[in-house]
Amino acid sequence: MSTSELTDQRTGRPEEIKAVPVRRPGRWIAAFIVLVIAASIIRSVVTNKRFEWHVVGQYLFDSRILHGVLVTLELTVLSMIIGIVLGVILAVMRQSPNPIVSGGSWVYIWFFRGTPLLVQLLFWYNIAALFPSIDLGIPFGPSFIHAHANTLITPLAAALLGLGLNEGAYMAEIVRAGIISVDEGQTEAAQSLGMTRLMTMRLIVLPQAMRVILPPTGNETISMLKNTSLVSVIAYTELLYSAQQIYDVNYQTIPLLIVASIWYLVMTSIAYVGQYFIERRFGRGFTRAQQGSMRARWLSFRGPEKVT
Amino acid sequence: MRKRFVAALSVLCALAVVGCGSSSSSTSSSGASGATSSSSSGGTATSASANASVVKLVPASIKSKGTLTVASDASYPPDEFIASDGHTVIGMDPDLMKALGAIMGLKVKVVNQTFDSIIPGLAAGKYNVGASSFTDTKEREKTVDFVTYLTAGESFFTKTSGGTTVSGLSDLCGRTVAVEKGTTEETDANTQSGKCTKAGKAKVTVLSFPDQNGANLALSSGRAQLGFADSPVAEYQVKKSNGTFKIVGPSIANAPYGLAVAKDSGLTTPLLSALQVLMKNGQYKAILTPWGIEAGAIANPKINGAIS
Repeated sequence: MSTSELTDQRTGRPEEIKAVPVRRPGRWIAAFIVLVIAASIIRSVVTNKRFEWHVVGQYLFDSRILHGVLVTLELTVLSMIIGIVLGVILAVMRQSPNPIVSGGSWVYIWFFRGTPLLVQLLFWYNIAALFPSIDLGIPFGPSFIHAHANTLITPLAAALLGLGLNEGAYMAEIVRAGIISVDEGQTEAAQSLGMTRLMTMRLIVLPQAMRVILPPTGNETISMLKNTSLVSVIAYTELLYSAQQIYDVNYQTIPLLIVASIWYLVMTSIAYVGQYFIERRFGRGFTRAQQGSMRARWLSFRGPEKVT
Repeated sequence: MRKRFVAALSVLCALAVVGCGSSSSSTSSSGASGATSSSSSGGTATSASANASVVKLVPASIKSKGTLTVASDASYPPDEFIASDGHTVIGMDPDLMKALGAIMGLKVKVVNQTFDSIIPGLAAGKYNVGASSFTDTKEREKTVDFVTYLTAGESFFTKTSGGTTVSGLSDLCGRTVAVEKGTTEETDANTQSGKCTKAGKAKVTVLSFPDQNGANLALSSGRAQLGFADSPVAEYQVKKSNGTFKIVGPSIANAPYGLAVAKDSGLTTPLLSALQVLMKNGQYKAILTPWGIEAGAIANPKINGAIS
């Protein structure tokens, strides 16, 4: 008996089709297995006395740790600003038809990506051993500022120089990837309209390149949050160093490293949220697949959702 | 299609096997530097032979293993440092431990670990003995047991040209001092800083570095005015610096060095007896003299002999 022959006795209209969602037992079984594994891991971690969770709770909001969190955030934000600005400049220089300019940019990127960040930090911090005094002015000419290296380059300046200049080299490659991802036709059209190279870059290419630059940049920022822990080798008081200062005295190494890790996780998670909103803003008008709201995607557990 | 898949799979398997093979052959013990060393000759310690009465005191679990694992932070010449071959730990502490091990009928393996990870590592059972110029303090005796074997003070050193002078801890107010993380010098400098601020004077800026080399570099680059380390170490630095550094002020806070062992390890009694044997047959002095530390020799080793 075909369904089209069924009619509702009362109204005479065809009966509504009893559409049952496709049963997907595999999804439910897989979900169950993942939840069971997660629950057993969480349980073994939470009930394990050797983690000394009471010590973790004791130091989680310690003033030294909170100060360390603030310093880490400060270092991350400032180094990323320096890195991004420098990265854009270097990437544009790399695209220059002038071989000296693009070569200079290449040498910078090669050097700062080719040496370990730890070594760079140590060099900036101990720069007075190589250049006891620094003169700023016209090269091979008169100098306007003359200062002792350690007063001009404070520990904070050394940390920012080390982190920022290194980040600039990595960002330069990311920005270059974004620039070359923009179709050449855009540049040609801009040139045919009479725009200069710099105008083209600023108004046409870079705004379109943002979509490709943003996910790796978010990655770099999250990476930078952790890289700031390297400044503990130049005795700068950020989060990891603060935790080390505490456990050097009370020998509670593991609980304090957990405290530091929890704070790094919190800061990283906030960065995730920020990145999501920024990407959505710059990805407008590109792909419809990303337009569905998060709620719709989670509720598609039962079956494929309707395209709204 | 199938042939290519099988070829790719076999290449991956081969790589995995090579990867596993190389990682298992690099028998590195855990820790930041991870450099292990075989018990090879260093210094001029004459080899001792096992003493039956001492061998009886060694706990069965260690006797069956036949090897004593010793942790040292090899950035502290002449007490412990890396030989010119790049991985063997040599110095007064390894020499002493090898002689003690020989008397106890055990082989000795010296591993290089960062200083502030050794005491937590002993408590966690990763090593048997910590021989790293540990000052025996009441605070540390809460976590580990000590067998005293030397007496040493703390000394200040500074740059010969343009350095500063101090005559004791009270002169530190308002100065910058570079120390190694986790040392008694770090604690003493921080305590003095508290005393300075209480007396209305400027605090002591304490720069703590992961190893003594970082502290020495900070001193030579002018980030710190003073270095502060154990007297034998400070004297060795000055000697090796060919006139760059000099000792200032007298050595203070003479305190015993102790070999650290985990509580209830059963090693305190055999180590003490072995040490007494070395002192009686003159080998103890013979080990200290080549490193220039004979002035710190003691006559009565003790278990947990902290004086502060």
